[in-house]
Parts: sequence; C-alpha cells; structure tokens
Amino acid sequence: MTKKQQIIRFENAGLAYAESAETLSDINLTLGEGEFRFLTGPSGAGKTSLLKMIYLAMRPTRGTLHLFGEDTIDAPREALPMLRRRIGVVFQEFRLLDHLTAFDNVALPMKVAGVNLNSYREDVSELLNWVGLGDRMDAKPPTLSGGEQQRVALARALVSKPDLILADEPTGNVDPAMSERIMKLFVELNKLGAAVIVATHDLHLVQTLGKPVLKISEGRVSRSPAAGGGA
Amino acid sequence: MSDTAPKSNFMTRWRREPLLPEAGAGGAPLTAVIAVMSFLAVLAMAAVLIIHQSAGRWTAELQSEITVQIKGADQAEIAASASAAMRVLNDTPGVEEAILKSDDETAALLEPWLGKGNVRAFLNIPALIDVKVTPALRTDLDSLRQRLTAVAPGAALDDHAAWHNRLAMAAQSGQALAVLVFLLVMGAACAVSTFAARAGLAANHEIVSVLHLVGATDKFIASEVQRRFFILGFRGAIAGLAAAFAALAGAAYLLERGVGADSFLPQFTLGGWHALWLLTVPLATCLVTAFTARLTVLNTLHRQY
Repeated sequence: MTKKQQIIRFENAGLAYAESAETLSDINLTLGEGEFRFLTGPSGAGKTSLLKMIYLAMRPTRGTLHLFGEDTIDAPREALPMLRRRIGVVFQEFRLLDHLTAFDNVALPMKVAGVNLNSYREDVSELLNWVGLGDRMDAKPPTLSGGEQQRVALARALVSKPDLILADEPTGNVDPAMSERIMKLFVELNKLGAAVIVATHDLHLVQTLGKPVLKISEGRVSRSPAAGGGA
Repeated sequence: MSDTAPKSNFMTRWRREPLLPEAGAGGAPLTAVIAVMSFLAVLAMAAVLIIHQSAGRWTAELQSEITVQIKGADQAEIAASASAAMRVLNDTPGVEEAILKSDDETAALLEPWLGKGNVRAFLNIPALIDVKVTPALRTDLDSLRQRLTAVAPGAALDDHAAWHNRLAMAAQSGQALAVLVFLLVMGAACAVSTFAARAGLAANHEIVSVLHLVGATDKFIASEVQRRFFILGFRGAIAGLAAAFAALAGAAYLLERGVGADSFLPQFTLGGWHALWLLTVPLATCLVTAFTARLTVLNTLHRQY
C-alpha cells in the first residue's frame, strides 16, 4: 500500500495576534493526500485563523507547519508563492478584484503563474459556465450579487486544479441547490485526489456528507469521527 | 461540468487588463509631474548641447586667428613697421591670410569709446593686422614673434590665449551646471516615483494581498507596477519633450529676430544628432521612473508582507 503524502502537518503550533494571548494553541494536526475535513466551531473560535495559517497569510507564532512536506517556518520568502499555487482558497469575504471582470478574476491564479492565456481560456470559461455565470464573464464584481461573487471566488479557487482546497463558508451566500452542487463538486475533486478543508456553520451539510470533522473550541482543535450518512 | 460553449467576448478576453488599477499608481498627477521633470531635463540637455556647440565655434575661431598690433612714435613709423610686418607675415609658411586694417576700420573700432572725429590728429593709433594661421603654426608662434619684432620693434603678437582659456572655462562651467541640473531632475524623478509607488502599494494593499495569496511572486507584482509606471512615465515624458521643443523653437525664433544671426550669443540651431540626444531624455525619464518604482515595490514588499 502506497503511503499517502502529508499535505498539512502542524506540530505544537500556536497563533497569537500581536502581544495578546494565543488565539489558537497546541495545534497538532495532519491532513493527508485526498483527505476531506469539515472545520466547525462557534464564530470567533479561530476557524479563519487556522485557514490563514494554512494558506500562508499568517505564520504560526510557535511550533511548526509543514505544507506538502516543506517546512514553512524556515522557508525563504521566495519559496512561498510556489506553495500557495498548490492551494485553492475560497475566502469567506470572496476577495475578488473589483476592477477585473469575472473572467479575469477566475484567471488570476493562472496569470500570476505565467501560464499562457490560450492554455486556460477554455478552463476558465467552462468553470464560469458550470457555476452558472457563463453570461456574466465580462461583469465586474460590484455588479454581481453576493451569491454570484461567491461562485466567481469558487471558480478562481479551482481553476489551477490545486492539491489542497480550503473553503471558508463556501455556501454562505448561495441557494440550497447551488450549495449542494458546490459541496458535491468538492467531494468529486476530493475523489480525484485533492485534499479539502471546508469551514462551515452548516451542521446539516456536515451531517449529510458524513466526512470527518475538526472542531475548534476555545482555541484548540479536536478531531471527531465522520458524522451522518456520507455522500 | 457543463459542456456549454463559452459565451465570451473574444476581444475582451484578448485584451490584457492591468492587474493594478491605473488610479492606484498615481495616475494623472504622476504623469503631470513627470511631464514637468521631462521638460526641465530636456531644457538642461539642450543647454549642454548649445553650450558645447557654441563653445566649439567660438574657440575654433579664436584658435585660427591671431592679431598683430604695431605701435610707434608717429604715424609714419607705424606705417613703415606695418608694411615690414606684412612682408614677414606673407613670407611665413602657415599664414593663410593677413589683412592690415585700414585707418577707417581702426577708427571705427575706437568710435564707441572716443567718438567720431579725426582722432589720429592727437593720438598715435596702433596698426592692427588680422592673421589667419594654420594649427601647425599656432603651436610655434615664438619664432614668428621674434621675426616680427626684428623688423618692427613696436609689434606685439596676441594669440588670444587668454580669451580662449576664459571661454573654455566658461563653457565647461556652463555645461557642468546643465549636467548637474539634468541629474537633479532625474533624482527628483526618482524621488517622485518612489513616493508614488509607495502610495500606490498602500492604496492597493488588498489587491496586492490577493495577488500574493493566489501565488504571485514579489517580482511579478513589481513587474506589474513597473509596467504601469513606464506607461505613465512615457506619457508624461512625451508631453514634456513636446513642451520643451516648443519652448526651444520659440526661444530660437525670438533670439534670431531680436539680435540677428551674426550675434555673439549662441545660435539655437540643433542638428539631427542633437535631436537624437534630446529624444533620449524622455526615454531616460521613463526608465528611471519605472526602474525606481520596481525597486521601491520589491523593497517595500520585502519589509511589509
């Protein structure tokens, strides 16, 4: 049996903002290739902070974090973009660039990676069609509804076929039907080998898909077995 | 996923949108400042070229001419000495032309100081001989000086060396000053570019953050800013160049109309290669602006993010 590569490995990691007490403490967590986790917890528990450390927006203030087998604490600054390109992130607040069209927003990870437009034009169009925005490709985010912006953000996170997908409340602004489609897409991508972490408040969704859950409570992460029926 | 054909406007797709919005990079104010910088830099460069050209013309004239002045106890002695000096000069290899100024011409030279009238009645006015010499003879004027004093004891040879040295010094000082002004303008362009790049990064903090998170390197972001600044700098530099050309043309017109083409003042006639030199100024301004912005962004990102 082939040993799965460790995508994420936290060891005794902690995160503190400025001089305040640690928001997250004693994180010992691993996520292997092709694994799926829900991340739950009350508002302000630290779900977004944990995701920020994983997508390298913040570094742990203590302990270690390895991504794709590489130590991110001692990694030179120049090495971080290559790691970030292997991660697709759906931000809770979308973080789209208002002056770019939906097409250009989705294409952003490919542009910054220096990929030729001809190589990804079809992929971007197909993704936007899939999320139901095929006729809004030239629209700019301020003209899109919250749900449409969330779908653009989803397409941007997936366009580079990342090894790790992080989604922070990815279904918060979409209708139940789209919500189900998005979650099924994550499951399909997970089956194709991508590791997935979805932070959500939607316990019904967690129950329905029956995937393992990471719970954050009082700044500490604990693991629960798969809940519910499974997808 | 759906196999629906993409409904996209191809031209919109094809056109490359800048990843940083134009307003964030300083926009119109930066273009205006660069235009002023470019205008001043072109004028400074034009001053360098005009001084160089004029100094060359002046010194070439002074180098090829000498003046022989002949004094005497009375007009008869002066006339005899002048004739003897002319014979020596005409027999000297390297003398291209020797012209003895007439009494009227000499009197005309004194007119501004002594006024009109028969000044020869009460003054022994020296005779003046304008001599054009070859560069070879100019390097050895001592033997000519000795031969002249042998036949005309009151002869004095003026090789214009003092004037030549003063003019060369003045020209060099003028050129050095113009180069200093040019460098100061370029330095100011660097400072403006640095300030605008920092302000642009601060204004676009969220965009830069997103670019980082989707995998952009510092060099990629710096290249985007550099490209934007080059375009802004180019627009400003071309506007400054056009304004400077207009100013130079206006100055040339007024100078020629006001004092005439034979004036001792510099001529504003810049040839083809001069124009090429002036065209390098907006290019230099663009490059300085863009490269400074790139370095500023790389430095700032390294410290901030």
